[in-house]
Amino acid sequence: MHRASHRTLIDIAYITMAYITMACITMACIALTLGSPAAGAELLAAPPDSDAREIARRAEDSLRSERTVIDAAMTVVSPRLSAPRIVRFQSWEERDTKRSMVRIQSPAKDAGTGFLKLHPNLWMFIPRVERTIRIPPSMMLQSWMGSDMTNDDLVKESSTLDDYTHRLLGIDPAPEGNPDLAAYVVEYIPNEDAPVVWGKIVTWIEQEHGTPLRQDFYDEDGELLRQMRFSDIRAVGERKVPHLWSMVPLNKEGHSTTIKIQTIVFDAEIDPSVFTKRNLRQARR
Amino acid sequence: MRLEWRLAWRNVWRNPRRTGLTVAATVFAVALLVMASALSTGMWDKIIDDTVGMASGHVTLTGPNYLEDRTLEQFTYLDATLQARLEENPAVAGFAPRVNAFGLLSQGDVTRGVMVMGLDPQRESTVSTLPGRVRSGRFLEAKGSNEIVLGERLAQILSVGVGDELLLYSVAYSLESAYDLFRVVGLMRLPNPDLDRGLALISLADAQAFFVYGDRLSEIAIRAQDAGASSSLAEELGLSLDPKRVEAHPWQEVMPDLAQSVILDKAGMYGMIGILVVVVSFGIFNTILMAVLERKREFGVVLALGLRPGAIFRIVYIESILLAGVGLVLGLLVAIPLALYLQTHPISLANNEEMVAAFEIVGAEPLLSAKLVASNPLFSGLTILVVALVAALYPALRASRGKPVDVLRSI
Repeated sequence: MHRASHRTLIDIAYITMAYITMACITMACIALTLGSPAAGAELLAAPPDSDAREIARRAEDSLRSERTVIDAAMTVVSPRLSAPRIVRFQSWEERDTKRSMVRIQSPAKDAGTGFLKLHPNLWMFIPRVERTIRIPPSMMLQSWMGSDMTNDDLVKESSTLDDYTHRLLGIDPAPEGNPDLAAYVVEYIPNEDAPVVWGKIVTWIEQEHGTPLRQDFYDEDGELLRQMRFSDIRAVGERKVPHLWSMVPLNKEGHSTTIKIQTIVFDAEIDPSVFTKRNLRQARR
Repeated sequence: MRLEWRLAWRNVWRNPRRTGLTVAATVFAVALLVMASALSTGMWDKIIDDTVGMASGHVTLTGPNYLEDRTLEQFTYLDATLQARLEENPAVAGFAPRVNAFGLLSQGDVTRGVMVMGLDPQRESTVSTLPGRVRSGRFLEAKGSNEIVLGERLAQILSVGVGDELLLYSVAYSLESAYDLFRVVGLMRLPNPDLDRGLALISLADAQAFFVYGDRLSEIAIRAQDAGASSSLAEELGLSLDPKRVEAHPWQEVMPDLAQSVILDKAGMYGMIGILVVVVSFGIFNTILMAVLERKREFGVVLALGLRPGAIFRIVYIESILLAGVGLVLGLLVAIPLALYLQTHPISLANNEEMVAAFEIVGAEPLLSAKLVASNPLFSGLTILVVALVAALYPALRASRGKPVDVLRSI
């Protein structure tokens, strides 16, 4: 009688231990799978005193200033098009008032079309029909001018600093595309009430000058949706500015959008009248 | 056999109250079965008809991948061969080519994202109920250009009426920006509030020009001669099409949510019918069993007189068939005219807000209507009959077994 119950106890103990061991192994496997860095590449640990938000601010500053004027050409490649669609535009931006203005110069059909953002509103003016459209916030993520950029990418309704919480993932000693520029890898997680659809954005930021090199945009399920690559880095004043920005949406095969900066002027003088609906309606062709 | 029928008939009337109650229960069960499934069929037929009539038809021809990615990227063509094939097919009541795309409608400071449907005004009326839903103004005309028809609620949001001009903006298939002014010619009332707020109709020719779409189409909506045969029609059409260009989908694939609701509702109804059947079977079982036990002595006597057990079994069985048969006939006599009446005179629930809201969710008009298909009374009647026959089995066996001596002694 005694013996039998002993044996049962031992059996139970063995079975329990076996289960615990199996559970531990399973959990370790899950932890290993989930815990590996999103970037995939082996990252070096960043110095303990580095400030992720400060790094993000430098990246922001290397592309923007208080008042920035840009001349650029956007090239849209798509399987639908026999030849790439090229859109030339000029943009004016005043950062702290969240105002910006974009004017299309070509192609002819769209020349003069303007976009004006007076936070939180975005208007579009179409000179051919002389109409102004207010673009509702729900349309901020629609394609801009048929490209893979969204309206939000263009007028930057969301702020890479205020609308995200930043976390330094580590240092990538040889980023893809720019293997000789070691970069911080920073994860941007949108704040709860931020006007953002991304689940997260992972940004590669060059260590010395804070130049952004690459951005990976993930959806809320953690799936990589699009990739932005920055290249053709040139000195503009004290800044090192990438002049070629290319966006590849991963869910649309054969599509890509490249913005080539022709000129970029930081801390420019911009007449306040630029950011008015009156100016929007004055199409200079 | 004559004798058995006569005995059974007399036995039925021996306790008229009990017989009456059993017959009443059967009548009620049969009527309930027939009405429940007629109302359910009627309601879903209406919902499917309304939804299908406003959406993609009973069968939809699309380009490959259109169902997963409903954008301009996915397209198909209606060439002469396909057109001839659709016109010749007797199962096809009508077909309508369409272009569906997203667009911004703007008036003053208000902009709404809408689904723009480019359609052939003449062909459309052979498929969908859209042309008939215009409440003010008129539907699109074949020769008109830059005309637009909106849902009433959408017009209200944009503060426009018939005769006003609207700007439509979108991105064309060629990735150019697409914009043009359209004149509102008609306002329609759509039962589905989302569509009423978010659907704008323009002519197919305008849509193909606006979106620089050539002769491409998003879909070809087909109305089937028989809505119930959607799946087989889709299959039949699918066989003759080039799968690289055109796919045929029954509405269940195009609107999986709706199809699922139908299945869920049907499952619920079958559950209810199952419970009903069990209740009725116990009722019949109980009546017959009581009738048998009460006549133990009588059965003993007739057995002693030389009646064969088989005859007793048959008598009891005939009794239960009589009960169920009378109940069945009366039940059908009550339910069928009622269902037929509701089929031609649906009851409007428009003054009950809750019902209106419930129907709006599925996008149908709030009507209580029935539809009687032949299989319904057949199925219901057969179910009750089988139940009665099975329920009577045990009492009949019980009555026919036993030796006269034991039976008589036990009393």
